[in-house]
Amino acid sequence: MDQTLVSDASFSSSPILETLGEEILRILYPVSFCMFLVVLLVSALISSDNSSMSFSSIASIAYSESSSDSFWSKLSGAFLNSLLFIAVITILTFFLVLLFYLRCTPCLKSYMAFSSFVVLSFLGGEISLLLLSRFVVPIDAFSFLLLLFNFSVVGTLSVFLAKAPISLTQGYLVIIGVLVAYWFTLLPEWTTWALLISMALYDLAAVLLPVGPLRLLVELAISRDEEIPALVYEARPVDTQASGRRLWRERRNFEGNPGSVSDTLRHENLTPQTTMTITVEASDEDSASTELVAPLVSQQPRRQEIEAVEGIGLGSSGAIKLGLGDFIFYSVLVGRAALYDFMTVYACYLAIVAGLGVTLLLLAFYRKALPALPVSIAFGVLFYVLTRELLEVFVVQCSVNLLISGERKRAR
Amino acid sequence: MTVAAGLGYALIALGPALSIFVSVIAKKPFLVLTLLSSTLFWLVSLILLSGAWRAFLPIKSSALWTYVIVIVTSVSFQEGVRLVFWKLYKKLEEMLNAFADRTSKPRLFLTDKMQIGLAGGLGHGVAHAVFFCLSLLTPAFGGATYYVERCSHMPFFLISAIISLAFLLMHTFSMVIAFNGYAESRKSDQLFVPIIHMVAAIMTLINLAPGGCAIGVPLLCISAAVTLQYCWMMVCRRLREN
Repeated sequence: MDQTLVSDASFSSSPILETLGEEILRILYPVSFCMFLVVLLVSALISSDNSSMSFSSIASIAYSESSSDSFWSKLSGAFLNSLLFIAVITILTFFLVLLFYLRCTPCLKSYMAFSSFVVLSFLGGEISLLLLSRFVVPIDAFSFLLLLFNFSVVGTLSVFLAKAPISLTQGYLVIIGVLVAYWFTLLPEWTTWALLISMALYDLAAVLLPVGPLRLLVELAISRDEEIPALVYEARPVDTQASGRRLWRERRNFEGNPGSVSDTLRHENLTPQTTMTITVEASDEDSASTELVAPLVSQQPRRQEIEAVEGIGLGSSGAIKLGLGDFIFYSVLVGRAALYDFMTVYACYLAIVAGLGVTLLLLAFYRKALPALPVSIAFGVLFYVLTRELLEVFVVQCSVNLLISGERKRAR
Repeated sequence: MTVAAGLGYALIALGPALSIFVSVIAKKPFLVLTLLSSTLFWLVSLILLSGAWRAFLPIKSSALWTYVIVIVTSVSFQEGVRLVFWKLYKKLEEMLNAFADRTSKPRLFLTDKMQIGLAGGLGHGVAHAVFFCLSLLTPAFGGATYYVERCSHMPFFLISAIISLAFLLMHTFSMVIAFNGYAESRKSDQLFVPIIHMVAAIMTLINLAPGGCAIGVPLLCISAAVTLQYCWMMVCRRLREN
């Protein structure tokens, strides 16, 4: 009886299928877009016989791979490379935690500005030059320099000025992710895979162990009610209608600051945030950057203000934040899969999305900072190996079966 | 042949899926998630299947019976996996209804359930099309094309795109039929889906005969049309009853 009453009056309240899972999708679309761009770049720019170009970087100082080495030397060399890389990352992250502890925000801010400017101008310039030469686009040096300079400066400003339009910030974060991920896929193959696995393990250790640098960072930030200084992608809703619907649940004192118009617009655009982020906005503290890895954090409103949705874990109404390092390493995995074949790309994409979904479910369950890399990278590597070994043979056989093989040996 | 040709083949195989996605699924985030999970689910089933068959591949002899066994086992496995998918969906439906009750929103309507079934089926179809057609299309973006001996009427890529299109439509709508059949416990719906799947799969064997693809491929399209018609009749009947 109640059922029919509810369904008659249902025109006023929307069915659950309309809005369920929206937050997850707002993280999923940029991650997918970043991976898609990296796959495009990789397939457009990298040809398979690239071994002549020796790509030396911090990730391959210990051992530079060549295809003629034996299996064990490649394996051991790759792991040596990745261990060195992890060591450097750990030292740098601890250094950043130290700086954050000493409240040395100018250092962090200037480092973040410097790193995003370098990535956008130098890496972006190099990749644009490669693209220009590949597609034979006629453009002169001065226009190119002007465009590049403007592009990088706007990007740097938008990434850590709190007042920049949200879409611009999100777009530039995705571009930075694409550029760094492309750079990483230039590494030799075994080193890349070893690096991915080691980064996943490092992420797991750094976020969950009590002595891990990222966990220290998160705890410091929570205890001080400050924002974590990192390049972090925040999936705020872009349309005001959705946030308006959620705002009534929030009970926050959002009397629009009779300050500038942009401030009130800002507040209307926010999903329910914790006090953490609100104090940040109010105090106009810019977020600085750290190394590329940051834990996956969900800003949850206080418990008594949302209906708990433990059964599904999809309805959490906080803005989900994903560190840019996660974007980068997901795209590196997919980009490396693209260097083999497109079937592995699709399989790895699905695996990474599944891993991200599992991580988000765990996030809704545990409600604390979780590492976003391990599950996805594990699934990604597993599916890559399985697809390459098992699925490809089967599919090629079957498709060839559907259409009669031309390779059938016949006595002529 | 060129990027245009490659894109053309890809759109032949995936065009209807794209339009279904844009018109129905993209509007509701939950359906997008259902689509992704369903694609992943069927990918896992394909990997399991290929793992089981790995030891016997590549099939060296061109004897008919090996291919028949491959097809029959694959189809039966996939239909069995469809039952598992249905069980998972039932659990999901309970959770969704409980959530709806808790947030005092209306429970799942019939159209909602059908849309979830459609998204699940689209995931199945997309998994098939992507892995059996799209991943083999990479050479088509280059400068040449490829014809197979036994079917020299059309390029290999075009034939594989048309076959994937037929299978995509078939998988998408047979999931709707299957969900309805299990929900209403109608034997005719429940049996229709495995039968049409098996029939279509066996029909691809016609392609093994020389020049057979001129008969096999249109027959596949006809079976896709039959599935569409059956689904249409079933949906009309259900909606009229409600």
